[in-house]
Amino acid sequence: MATTAEGFDAHHDHGHDAHDHADHKPGFFARWFMSTNHKDIGTMYLIFAIIAGIVGGAISGIMRVELAEPGIQYLGWWAQLMGGASDVNTALHMWNVFITAHGLIMVFFMVMPAMIGGFGNWFVPLMIGAPDMAFPRMNNVSFWLTVAGFFSLLFSLFVPGGTGPGAGTGWTVYAPLSTSGSVGPAVDFAIFSLHLAGAGSILGATNFITTIFNMRAPGMTLHKMPLFVWSVLVTAFLLLLALPVLAAAITMLLTDRNFGTTFFNPAGGGDPVLYQHLFWFFGHPEVYIMILPGFGMISQIIATFSRKPVFGYLGMAYAMVAIGVVGFIVWAHHMYTVGLDVNTKMYFTAATMVIAVPTGVKIFSWIATMWGGSLSFKSPMVWSMGFIFLFTVGGVTGVVLANGGIDDNLHDTYYVVAHFHYVLSMGAVFSMFAGFYYWFPKMSGRMHSELLSHIHFWTFFVGVNVIFFPQHFLGMQGMPRRYPDYPEAYHFWHEISTYGYYIMAGSMVFFFVNILYALVAGKKAEANPWGEGATTLEWTLPSPPPYHQFETLPVITDSMDYHDHRPATA
Amino acid sequence: MKNSILALLAAGLAAFAPLSVAAQDAAAPAVAEAVQVVGAQTAPGAEAGVGNLTPAEASAAPAGEGAYIPMAPTEGKGMPTSYEDDPLKSMTFQDQYTANGEYALGMHDYVLLPVITAISLLVLGLLLYVVMRFNRKANPVASKTTHNTAIEVIWTIVPVIILVIIAVPSITLLARQYETPPADAVTIKATGYQWYWGYTYPDHGDIEVISNMLDPAEAVKRGEPGQLAVDNRMVVPAGVPLRIQTTASDVIHAFAVPSLWFKMDAVPGRLNEKLLTIPEPGVYYGQCSELCGARHGFMPIAVEALPPAEFAAWVRAQGGSMPGEEAAAAAPAAPEAAPAAAN
Amino acid sequence: MASAAPLNDDTARRNLRTGLIAFAGALAMLGLGYASVPLYRLFCQVTGFGGTTMTATESDAARAAAGVTGQKISIRFDATAAMGMPWTFRPTQPTDTVTIGERDIATYVARNDSDFPITGMATFNVEPEQAGKYFNKIQCFCFTEQTLQPGQEVIMPVLYFVDPAMLDDPNMKGVEQITLSYTFHRSETSQAAAPRSSN
Repeated sequence: MATTAEGFDAHHDHGHDAHDHADHKPGFFARWFMSTNHKDIGTMYLIFAIIAGIVGGAISGIMRVELAEPGIQYLGWWAQLMGGASDVNTALHMWNVFITAHGLIMVFFMVMPAMIGGFGNWFVPLMIGAPDMAFPRMNNVSFWLTVAGFFSLLFSLFVPGGTGPGAGTGWTVYAPLSTSGSVGPAVDFAIFSLHLAGAGSILGATNFITTIFNMRAPGMTLHKMPLFVWSVLVTAFLLLLALPVLAAAITMLLTDRNFGTTFFNPAGGGDPVLYQHLFWFFGHPEVYIMILPGFGMISQIIATFSRKPVFGYLGMAYAMVAIGVVGFIVWAHHMYTVGLDVNTKMYFTAATMVIAVPTGVKIFSWIATMWGGSLSFKSPMVWSMGFIFLFTVGGVTGVVLANGGIDDNLHDTYYVVAHFHYVLSMGAVFSMFAGFYYWFPKMSGRMHSELLSHIHFWTFFVGVNVIFFPQHFLGMQGMPRRYPDYPEAYHFWHEISTYGYYIMAGSMVFFFVNILYALVAGKKAEANPWGEGATTLEWTLPSPPPYHQFETLPVITDSMDYHDHRPATA
Repeated sequence: MKNSILALLAAGLAAFAPLSVAAQDAAAPAVAEAVQVVGAQTAPGAEAGVGNLTPAEASAAPAGEGAYIPMAPTEGKGMPTSYEDDPLKSMTFQDQYTANGEYALGMHDYVLLPVITAISLLVLGLLLYVVMRFNRKANPVASKTTHNTAIEVIWTIVPVIILVIIAVPSITLLARQYETPPADAVTIKATGYQWYWGYTYPDHGDIEVISNMLDPAEAVKRGEPGQLAVDNRMVVPAGVPLRIQTTASDVIHAFAVPSLWFKMDAVPGRLNEKLLTIPEPGVYYGQCSELCGARHGFMPIAVEALPPAEFAAWVRAQGGSMPGEEAAAAAPAAPEAAPAAAN
Repeated sequence: MASAAPLNDDTARRNLRTGLIAFAGALAMLGLGYASVPLYRLFCQVTGFGGTTMTATESDAARAAAGVTGQKISIRFDATAAMGMPWTFRPTQPTDTVTIGERDIATYVARNDSDFPITGMATFNVEPEQAGKYFNKIQCFCFTEQTLQPGQEVIMPVLYFVDPAMLDDPNMKGVEQITLSYTFHRSETSQAAAPRSSN
């Protein structure tokens, strides 16, 4: 972290004389550990997310290598490395620990911190013309809570969790596997990690809601806000309403585990199915929490590089609101096989399919934004276009899975794995790379290499598709998820999938080389490197923006529409 | 003895020797505890007790007396197909052997798959067209169009219509899947344990079958797919309605057989039930489909559907009786219903 | 807010207000999370969701008896002993045919196979699930905890009736048999007593 932090310091120093007063910065420790500056906190979130992403990605590598051929190859070795016993059950438990850690890390410590903590912190205040977040010190608390949560999760890997070290419950932490089924403190630490990360996110959500409602520049009405801000606003509401339910559910798990309560224990009148209801009441909005900010970023980027205002702004904004609202009433489609009666299953089938409508509106509106535009295929744009296609593919398999009767076969198979990786590992991750390349010059003051970012895109595109497309086949053939081993019949497509991982992993080299290149030798970025299509307020500031921006608030006049917040100078 | 085995095991693990995780053949008493390590360094058959397992009791009665010989599975029926055997079949659903399965498969193949493929290709096509037609060279000056009510209404209404078209077979399928079994359906209760299945037949003298995974090598030797074959199958009559009930003893498991389009969670403390009719005899494999701990991947399901007469023979071989027959262990009749007017 | 740009008092006050409202919303959802436990139970008890059976009084039973049409339905009795519950637990007969609306008694047999006293609590549901709201228990061993001495075997009765209203419910069309399922768990309070054994 320190290296990069100094790197960022360096640019700030370059621009020092240009805006000396606004750029007065505290000392190193005060700046990075007690930070109250939204841009510094955003930077820390992004670095944190990248580190967590490396850990989570490495774990998926371990899993893909293990799955390259049938049989148990390396799990025993990993179990012993983590301090586990050398028997087969410990080795197999290790597998469950990996799937659990991969899921939790990617969801809570990679995607959420990057999207909301990173890009949200950096650009919500800039885009609405605010000097900072509403509660800067709480912002700092949010970040460090998330970090503490990550360490709690990492710590859980090394303490007993039942059959072996670590929590092997899956990211869903279903009771009773997570209560009576997992003896030892690992699951407690994993749950505590969710508490910490969840508390951080709830504080963050409060902060964003307050910032967006109260701190907008004069004239920046809600209907003039950039769509990225809209997306973060909707996301913040989802966080605020969904996370406490998770907090309640996992707290009940903790007391069931440690203090003899029986919320989910049938022996005391509890019901394990209730845990699933609570978890998915949180869990389904959670998947929109992970993708909505991505929607927002894609809208900004598509408009910028089409040199055209986004098509159907209000439809786009309220489609996100609709997705958020409907996201709360479809949770049981994750529980189709748990023993629901026919009417319940029909309701959730119908409600789930409804989500396809606002999602379709967004997809088509993005294409309509490009239609008639003057497109330049800079790195953020190619990632966005990749996003649109791959998210569509992930979305339509969601329509397949929405059918309760079809899900009877596909539930908990690799088809589901393929589906949610298409919407997350390609949807969310592509939008994050798009956003990263879009705003990196703004954040760092340096231009990255377009060539490297394009190579990164194409290799990553090929890699993830090779990983996940064959997983549809595996799922339809019946391969259950969360299996460390499989019958010989599934060998071929698993092997292909693992090759895809190698391509994807190799592709990430270009990403890291690109960042290093940009920080060391990148061209200095102008205030607006993307040309006339970039019309939101952050592009009116120098790159990087001064430490304190908008000491004189910008004014959005009536003549400016939602799509153009540039001061009317020209 | 145990230590040396563990050391051997450790050596195998450290050397990345392939481990085959398997409960051994029915002969061993503590079946599920037996772990066979197949590797260059270890002799086949080395066993280590691996603790923390609920010991599986030996099956209620050994399938003996030559009355019942496990049916040989048919290649490609009731099991996954490898790419090498048939590339196309390895990329889609297993062949379906129930009426609902065929209906669901038809709905997927003729409604869902064409629709989702068309939508994906439409989006891809539009993107490619936009790239060619509206790149900066081809179209230097961008239009400022941001609204077109007609098109916005179309792309809201058309998806709704598509969804309604999907919903019709979808709801029909659900209604069919929820048809209730007739009173005389053959009842089988599948209970999930960590990590094996138990099948009880309450109407057939309450016989119980404990079903552990066969060692994959042993399975292949017997002509069955590795990791799917079990020592004692869930034997059912073909062509008659079955009332499949599931529950679990410890954590949540899921009873799933892909070729029968059947999946139902086994939840401790509650019973789930579903109708299943398997028209033709055969062996249909499935696997536990809800994460249930370390050996989640190693508690397969094998359903063997037999012609009713052979099923009856199997029941008797297990020490059970067909309904209506005089069974030795028949339960005493329950007291007559108390007249409603009693109090 | 030491280093940040200072906010004017008005904005700070509004921020605090909005922040508190948002935070109160989060707390309310937290409360709802906990409240869902009794609410879910209540919901199941009222609607029969998940195959939850109804509890009926004598007068309910009398009212149901008035609606008897003579139609019959088959009832299946299922029994499971949960992990760590060393009881033999089974119905005295697997099925019975009863007249819809009339009261009936079913009995289960439970025997404590261990050599220490054990208290058990039974959970229950019926299948198909839509039958839950028509399956009424007047008296049941599942209403209270049951303690068995070592080796003790008892008959456990359940007095129930099937509500004739089911005949008017389209969701119950075609239901020929209702399964009443019980699972005996070792009661949490007696958990510490003695070693676990598999069932």
